[in-house]
Amino acid sequence: MDRLLSIFDMLVWFPENISTFGHELDNLFAIIYWVSVAIFFLTFGVMGYFLVKYRYRKEARGYNYHGNNLVEITWTILPTILFASIGLYSDDIWERTKYSSRLPQADVKVLVMGKQYGWQFLYPGADGKFGRNAYTDRDNCRKLISMTNPFGIDSSDAASMDDFTTENQFKVPVNANIVFHGSSQDVLHSFFLPHARVKQDVVPGTWMNIWCNLFKTGKYELACAELCGGGHYSMRAEYEVLSKSAYEQWVDKKVSEAIAARSPQPVAAPVADTTKVASLTK
Amino acid sequence: MSTATLEHAADTAHDHGQEHHHHDLPWYRKYIFSTDHKVIAKQFMLSSLFFLFVGGAFALFIRWQLAYPGQPVPVIGSILPDTWVTEAGSGIITPEFYAQLLTMHGSIMIFFVIIPFAVGMFGNFCIPLMLGTDDMALPRLNMWSFWLVPPAGLVMMAGFFTQTGYAAAGWTSYPPLSAQTGLDAFTISGQTLWTISIFLVGFSSIMGAVNYVSTVLNKRAKGMKLFDMPLTVWALFITAIIITLGTPVLAAGLAMLFMDNFLHTSFFLPDNLATSQKYFGGGQPILFQHVFWFYSHPAVYIMILPLMGIVSDVMATFSRKPVYGYKAMVFAIAGIAFLGFVVWGHHMFQSGMNPLLGTTFMLSTIVIAVPSSIKVFNWLGTLWRGNIKFSSAMLNALAFVSMFIIGGLSGVFMASAPVDIYIHDTYFIVAHIHYVLFGGSLFGIFAGIYYWYPKMYGKMLNERLGRQHFILTFITFNLTFFPMHVLGLGGHMRRIYDPNVYDFLKGLSDINELVTIGAIALGFSQLILVFNVLWSLKFGKKAPRNPWRANTLEWAAPEHPGHGNFDRDITVYRGPYEFGVEGRQSDYWPQWEPGASKTINHKTVVVEDDSRTFGAH
Repeated sequence: MDRLLSIFDMLVWFPENISTFGHELDNLFAIIYWVSVAIFFLTFGVMGYFLVKYRYRKEARGYNYHGNNLVEITWTILPTILFASIGLYSDDIWERTKYSSRLPQADVKVLVMGKQYGWQFLYPGADGKFGRNAYTDRDNCRKLISMTNPFGIDSSDAASMDDFTTENQFKVPVNANIVFHGSSQDVLHSFFLPHARVKQDVVPGTWMNIWCNLFKTGKYELACAELCGGGHYSMRAEYEVLSKSAYEQWVDKKVSEAIAARSPQPVAAPVADTTKVASLTK
Repeated sequence: MSTATLEHAADTAHDHGQEHHHHDLPWYRKYIFSTDHKVIAKQFMLSSLFFLFVGGAFALFIRWQLAYPGQPVPVIGSILPDTWVTEAGSGIITPEFYAQLLTMHGSIMIFFVIIPFAVGMFGNFCIPLMLGTDDMALPRLNMWSFWLVPPAGLVMMAGFFTQTGYAAAGWTSYPPLSAQTGLDAFTISGQTLWTISIFLVGFSSIMGAVNYVSTVLNKRAKGMKLFDMPLTVWALFITAIIITLGTPVLAAGLAMLFMDNFLHTSFFLPDNLATSQKYFGGGQPILFQHVFWFYSHPAVYIMILPLMGIVSDVMATFSRKPVYGYKAMVFAIAGIAFLGFVVWGHHMFQSGMNPLLGTTFMLSTIVIAVPSSIKVFNWLGTLWRGNIKFSSAMLNALAFVSMFIIGGLSGVFMASAPVDIYIHDTYFIVAHIHYVLFGGSLFGIFAGIYYWYPKMYGKMLNERLGRQHFILTFITFNLTFFPMHVLGLGGHMRRIYDPNVYDFLKGLSDINELVTIGAIALGFSQLILVFNVLWSLKFGKKAPRNPWRANTLEWAAPEHPGHGNFDRDITVYRGPYEFGVEGRQSDYWPQWEPGASKTINHKTVVVEDDSRTFGAH
């Protein structure tokens, strides 16, 4: 019964928030929620009262009254003020979370590439710089994109040597500005981190700027939120928010693996970490 | 004119009409390829009812899979076609078929149920009758507007016989998914057929709309000014304008999508896709979304504005009161229609279009809440000091208003772009669209059916069955769609085949079950309506000429009007909502009844002499 009643208290249903701007989005939701609840009770209350009070009586007659301009103007202006202020307040948060000009200085940069059905990530490695790929050199490297080289990495570039990829999992440090540049190699996908309150469609042929700053370590999930075919539901990935030192260790390990894999044959495409992550509970 | 002469005139007109249409028309011109607007309205009603059950059946498959993922569909599971299930006879539906189901559910409900009901059926039935005229301005065009719908439906359903099955890219059919089928050029897929089918229904809509606009402008009864028209006609008129402006844009988008899909052009496909090097590239996937929503957002209003008009008429009649703020209602409809064309981008906040546009579209979208709330307040004002009779039509109209309030409020959440970041493409959106399209449009359609059935078929619907249908529908509707809000807030994405893949959705399985139980009950409750419609056709009480004691012109027509509609000359003397005028014995004052009046302090007063003055209000 408690569970049934909790359907009416919507605010408790959100998954735990781990993102710095997540509170702002949740609070904005709560503001609109309480305004809506108030309007709901106001209008339903008035309606219920009228329906009972003015229910059919044989001797009664409807009141011939065509409306009043002053009343109309009042109930035009009041909602305008209310809704316009919600709009202006929302816009402030929107600009800070989504505008490319407001993108924070990146502590960690990751490229994201969606595919049917999975997520691939490219890290710039130890030097913190990407080599030539479809993001850094779109004109020359887009044509290198293939099923085995989704980021169009030009392996002849020395800066690409330590760039490493992961599949269906990624790791980020806690309390750092993480900037993703996302795209897709086939159809539309949507990069949805429910706990981080992040959602952005990724579009083939274009790179999207996505950022977040996560304050809590732990393992979380990434989902695709845009229908991308029959396997849409299975387009799941995991990510782990690590402490700074653990993250650096992980990067070092990945970099040495990537260099080792490339060294014998420098022209070969980087080997993706294709370990499919099992569901957390399995 | 005395009563005696009126009746005499009526008799001769009636006889003449009978003679005319009995002798001239063979049966297939009377019942199948008829140009009579009432027959066309009935045809729209029957086809929409049929598709309502087809679309509803698809929805129940979806709900079964979400509540009981990977379990065989009960009862009919073993007889499902092999291509729908994981292995023959297993009854477990495949992810691919699931994507086809959600696509077909959305497409059918929108293009073959709600638009044909709201615009095709009510537009055809109400406009000529409520304007006091014999038929549409362009009856043959009108006939074609219906006769494109069955072939369009067949074309869409024929997707079943293609290699890939039905279309499976969602009712929005975003490319590249919808453009790139993996098949060779010149191969027909379900998606190709979908595109052709929607193109055809769009064409049908345009033909209907052109007709409505010309009828409203040219064929009003003597004395009827634009502001003497009932709100139903106003709403349909403005809807028709939206259709004529918006649908051609959709047609353009569909044509481009068809070429990408069938001829392998690249309007919407960028270069160097990893999956397919066959395409030339250079296209932009987001362009389709702009073109699509430029039509499909106004289409949301195409689906709700006519019902807003109908509900206003029903509420006035059963509250025995004038509609509060008639002109404000008209301006609000026009305002919603205009704003409807500048808000399409709110479907695309997270699509990757420039976030600067997000700001613009957020502000324009939020403004649309203003005319919507004006309408709600005016409906409440209409109830104020009324004498409210809870007929089936009125109950459905009240459900429309209250569910539209909830649907409208949940719309404010997604209008706010930062809130939309989280709830976009989750079940919160699904809850919202069903509150406005089922809670809004479909309850409005039910209200209209209960209200005009007597004039359509000359029989009364059974009120008791009507009330039972309403109560069951109202309860199960809320049971089905309200919990979807919390599914969405839990993060449940829409269009996923199996929520159990995700750990953060595991706690929501009991809500999914609740929704499914509600949906099944909701589906079966609709059988009462069908039974009522069919049973009353034969056994219903004979309907009197004006069963609801309403004022609008359709009630001046005979009980079961034939070709040509009216058996007397119609002159309009006043506005459509003169209820409870002081100094009159009956509490209503039909538009066609001679007599003069004037307005003092927002009230109508009878003027004794000067019977030549047309009604002022």
